Amino acid sequence: MANSAHTITVPDAVARPWGVPRSVRLALRFCRRKPLGGIGAVIILALLMMAVFADRIAPYAYDESVARMKPPSAQFWMGTDNLGRDVWSRVVYGARISVTVGFATVTLATLLAIVIGVSSAYVGGTYDILIQRVVDAWISFPALVIILSLLAALGPGLLNLIFALSIIGAAGTSRVIRGATLSIMQNPYVEAARAIGAGHGRILLLYVLPNIMATIIILATIGLGTVILAESALSFLGFGIPPPYPSWGAMLSGSGRTFMYHAPWMALWPAAAISLAVFGFNMLGDALRDVLDPRLRGGR
Amino acid sequence: MHGSTTPTPSLTRRALLKAGGVAFIAATGPQLRASPAEAQAPKRGGILRFTFQSDPVTGFDPQQTISFVTQVPLSFVYSRLLKVKAGPSVKPMTYPIEADLAESWTQPNETTYVFKLRKGVRWHPKPPVNGRELTADDVKYTYDRFLTVKGNPNRPALESVDRIDVLDKHTVRFVLKEPNAWFLDMLASTSTWIIAKECVDKFGDLKKVDSVVGTGPWMLERWEPNVRMTFARNPNYYIAGLPYADGVEMLIDKDPSSRLAAFLAGKTDFGPEYQQVVRRIDLQLAKQRKPGLQTAEYTWFTAGAQGLKIDKPPFNDLRVRRALARATNLQEVYDANAFSQGQWTPNPVVPAAFAEWSIPIDQLGPEGRKNYQHSIAEAKRLLAEAGYPSGVKVTAEAPGTGYGPDFLDTVQINVKNWKAAGFDIDLKLKEYGAFISSTIYGKFDQMYVGLRGAWADPEAYFYRIFVPEQPNNVMPVNDPKLTEMIKLQRRTLDVPKRRQIVYDVQRYAAEHGYFGVDGSVNVVSAWEPYIKNYMPNNGFDFGGRMMAAWIDK
Amino acid sequence: MRNYVLRRLLVAVPSLLIASFIVFTLPRLIPGDVVQLMLEEKAYGKDLDDLRAKLGLDRPIPVQYAAWLGAVGQGNFGESLWTRQPVVTELGRRFPVTLTLGTMAIVVAILIGVPVGVVSAARPDGALDFFARSAAILGLSIPAFVKAIVIILLPAIWWGWTPMIRFVEFSADPVTHVLQFLLPAVILGIASAAAIMRLTRGMLLEVLRQDYVRTAWAKGVGERVIVLKHALKNAIIPVITVLGLQVAQIAGGAVIIETIFSLPGMGQLLVESIIQRDYPVIQGINLLVVTIIVATNLAVDLLYAVVDPRIRY
Repeated sequence: MANSAHTITVPDAVARPWGVPRSVRLALRFCRRKPLGGIGAVIILALLMMAVFADRIAPYAYDESVARMKPPSAQFWMGTDNLGRDVWSRVVYGARISVTVGFATVTLATLLAIVIGVSSAYVGGTYDILIQRVVDAWISFPALVIILSLLAALGPGLLNLIFALSIIGAAGTSRVIRGATLSIMQNPYVEAARAIGAGHGRILLLYVLPNIMATIIILATIGLGTVILAESALSFLGFGIPPPYPSWGAMLSGSGRTFMYHAPWMALWPAAAISLAVFGFNMLGDALRDVLDPRLRGGR
Repeated sequence: MHGSTTPTPSLTRRALLKAGGVAFIAATGPQLRASPAEAQAPKRGGILRFTFQSDPVTGFDPQQTISFVTQVPLSFVYSRLLKVKAGPSVKPMTYPIEADLAESWTQPNETTYVFKLRKGVRWHPKPPVNGRELTADDVKYTYDRFLTVKGNPNRPALESVDRIDVLDKHTVRFVLKEPNAWFLDMLASTSTWIIAKECVDKFGDLKKVDSVVGTGPWMLERWEPNVRMTFARNPNYYIAGLPYADGVEMLIDKDPSSRLAAFLAGKTDFGPEYQQVVRRIDLQLAKQRKPGLQTAEYTWFTAGAQGLKIDKPPFNDLRVRRALARATNLQEVYDANAFSQGQWTPNPVVPAAFAEWSIPIDQLGPEGRKNYQHSIAEAKRLLAEAGYPSGVKVTAEAPGTGYGPDFLDTVQINVKNWKAAGFDIDLKLKEYGAFISSTIYGKFDQMYVGLRGAWADPEAYFYRIFVPEQPNNVMPVNDPKLTEMIKLQRRTLDVPKRRQIVYDVQRYAAEHGYFGVDGSVNVVSAWEPYIKNYMPNNGFDFGGRMMAAWIDK
Repeated sequence: MRNYVLRRLLVAVPSLLIASFIVFTLPRLIPGDVVQLMLEEKAYGKDLDDLRAKLGLDRPIPVQYAAWLGAVGQGNFGESLWTRQPVVTELGRRFPVTLTLGTMAIVVAILIGVPVGVVSAARPDGALDFFARSAAILGLSIPAFVKAIVIILLPAIWWGWTPMIRFVEFSADPVTHVLQFLLPAVILGIASAAAIMRLTRGMLLEVLRQDYVRTAWAKGVGERVIVLKHALKNAIIPVITVLGLQVAQIAGGAVIIETIFSLPGMGQLLVESIIQRDYPVIQGINLLVVTIIVATNLAVDLLYAVVDPRIRY
């Protein structure tokens, strides 16, 4: 995977900028300005490829018994676990869980946050005060209690996990979106639109949303890393995705810990995978923040 | 007691009955000490140290919980009328009964038992009981409360008791509603501790730690939640000279790796897992670090369990139940398990850990035996015969937390093999609390996968699961012939005859697929070379087994 | 100033009420209530109802909530449904453990985060800066439980060394007591250190571009003085904000760290209480945590005023 970073050589692209599509040119310029962000993007790209093409990349099925507790070798790159499954194959399939949970949660949380944040700022008044007190409570409150209670009530599982994580994620995001919306609404062009009789829908869709998009994208990118981290932590505590589907967090906590003196590779590889994925999203998020919206630097 | 196969010097109950219903059991102290392998004189003193995975989070009232996390610490502090014999002469997996607070007992007729109590037994010198003498009134008080206090989950153990009469200060009579061949075993179980009325009166119940006042070998000295519980020697214990150790330290540690580290580092005297077990995967390391380590192998109570709804498709068809059994690969399960590493025993209905009551698999009927022979091809054939040639969709529930990683590994192996045979399993994980409070009571669609082993008497494993109206009969089984056999064994006091009926029950259940195949781990208990006169066994009576142990350092 | 504090407190009250009601209700909606768990697999229907009545769990949730709120108002947090220990006693035992862990983690975070941030900003895009930033992102990315496991795991494999993880009370051995927190506190603090480092660097860079700093440069003031005296003072405000946020972060992270290191703190207690449906204990912990977080945020706002006299209320 890492090779692809080297094949996109910048000088070539710079020499013939008209020969490549605009999006690629933009991406290359981004990579040149923010090399760390570029590395992050490559990691994320690799993660996405692993998730989408897991069945082609993984040499074995994730629940296939091949050989018990073999150390890493040419045949089993990351060794095998106590149930005889190939760890590399499981790490590849695990990317699917991380990507699915990550993107689904962030999408859901962001939509929820936009509705809450934008409406709170736009409507204002008592509605704003009321909603913000609820958000206060929501933020100040140990997230783990809500998540564990929700998952205990609904039962562990992919959809429930996504739902619980979204509810938690939406609160903080909605606060930032509200702030961004408030500042957009003070702009003269919003006033002008209102003056010429634009409806609420039109103002929101044409003026507010496009202008807070950068904020939303940055929050979402960083949110992805956080959610992947949270998923692995919950799986670690036993509230994650049911086996035998491989979640990185669960691989690390269950048998990974039981056999840690005897087959350390069972825990170390998934640990590396989690760290690398979160690292990728953090770096890309940081770089995007610097490029798109420097004001956000140092915020949450 | 369990019959003549037990090579123990103590009298079996059958022998007692043969002796004309009148028996006398000598004080147990000398017997426990008498071990030919150890001619050395026992030494007094020292502290016995072991790790335990939990605080008594279920409180201290023995009549409010079945949980081992309560009953194990109480086993150091309390006594009961009869107990399961302990010591090097007792083979693990056998549970012979001997006298504890009772000095002797008689059975004038099928439903009446009269117990003579030891004289001069004193309660621990702690308030509010302050070392007064134990009398027959205490026994009556204990069991009256046992049968009437709200929420005693152990009540089924003594449910056959009709009334308890105090005949004199040291004699008490139990009258049963109907004959119950397991009555003495039930009295020797670990929830029947004799408690003091003063404590209940003062504290309202026995949930608080201050209310733990007993007549047992050690006194509860100090509880630092999440850290340790310490017990000090009871100077007035009624068996002269016992216990040998001055104290017991129970270190509480939830993490298996850190428990193992503590054992290897010499901070504890006994193996790090439940029942002083060292996982087989760690055994070599432990033996390397500790030359001369003493070990004993036996089969655990705990076993896998599958609940099936046999009143609706697909498991209403016996062939589907057999297909599930044939698809199960127990060898694969126990090869992967850190405790067993390939060493395990298949279980019929009564777990193999009850060596005297569990039928050997090769004595099952032809169909029952086949259930234990893994064959995906046969499973597929049976499914096709039952009308599911292209497989069948099944939802299965299992606890996602609480039973630990080994259990989840087992579930994964089973699901994989069941899928290979055509069972398209939709696995729904439940939170542990929700699982043990609803699923195992029957709130599941088609199937659940869990553990069994909460019961310390062999009868529970078929009585509670197969007799109609029992809360754990969730499949539900309603087979008059089976029920008849189960009732009959309960009335059969003669042990060999009863064993034959219990075997028949197990054959019948296996033949009819009322029971999914499973196995138990053959564990290795280990303890330091300097701990003498000790032998592990199944059951919560840690105190009873450590009482006669002594430290040779 | 006093008015501001009062107003802030007043605003916090409804949030606290909403939070406490959610905390009160959610665990009660989980299937399998505490009574069923207590009686485990041998329960009788009637026993269940009796025990529920005895514990007051048969009343409607809003009634139970009102009763609880009333009792809390009088300083009575109730007792654990399982052990019958007062919740206050239980918290009194667990809270110091988490407090020690959290405090040490924050100290670690500041000790690493601020100096590295300053050095990194003084020579932006230098080798040290690049290294520090990469390390910071890595520190943020590796989950605390991964760090913990690797720290326990690798020494065990390489040198056969296992950290002795057993809780020692202060009274038993004060030195060991404090030392046992060191490893978990460092692990917990690293993520916060990374956040603080990045923020310190970012703010410092911005301040260093301000006119008055340029003026100082022009006047020939030394670099050390400029960075430490002029710039750092102004950069410290947002760092304080992040510190406030990190308190919540660390409170969450403590749950897993306490589980891994067998530290008998509140995080561990919380997870256990949820599993056991020990409602009064869950409520007690949450009330305490929420109060601490609200108080921290308030303290952060007040600190602004101290650090930056321009902020008025």
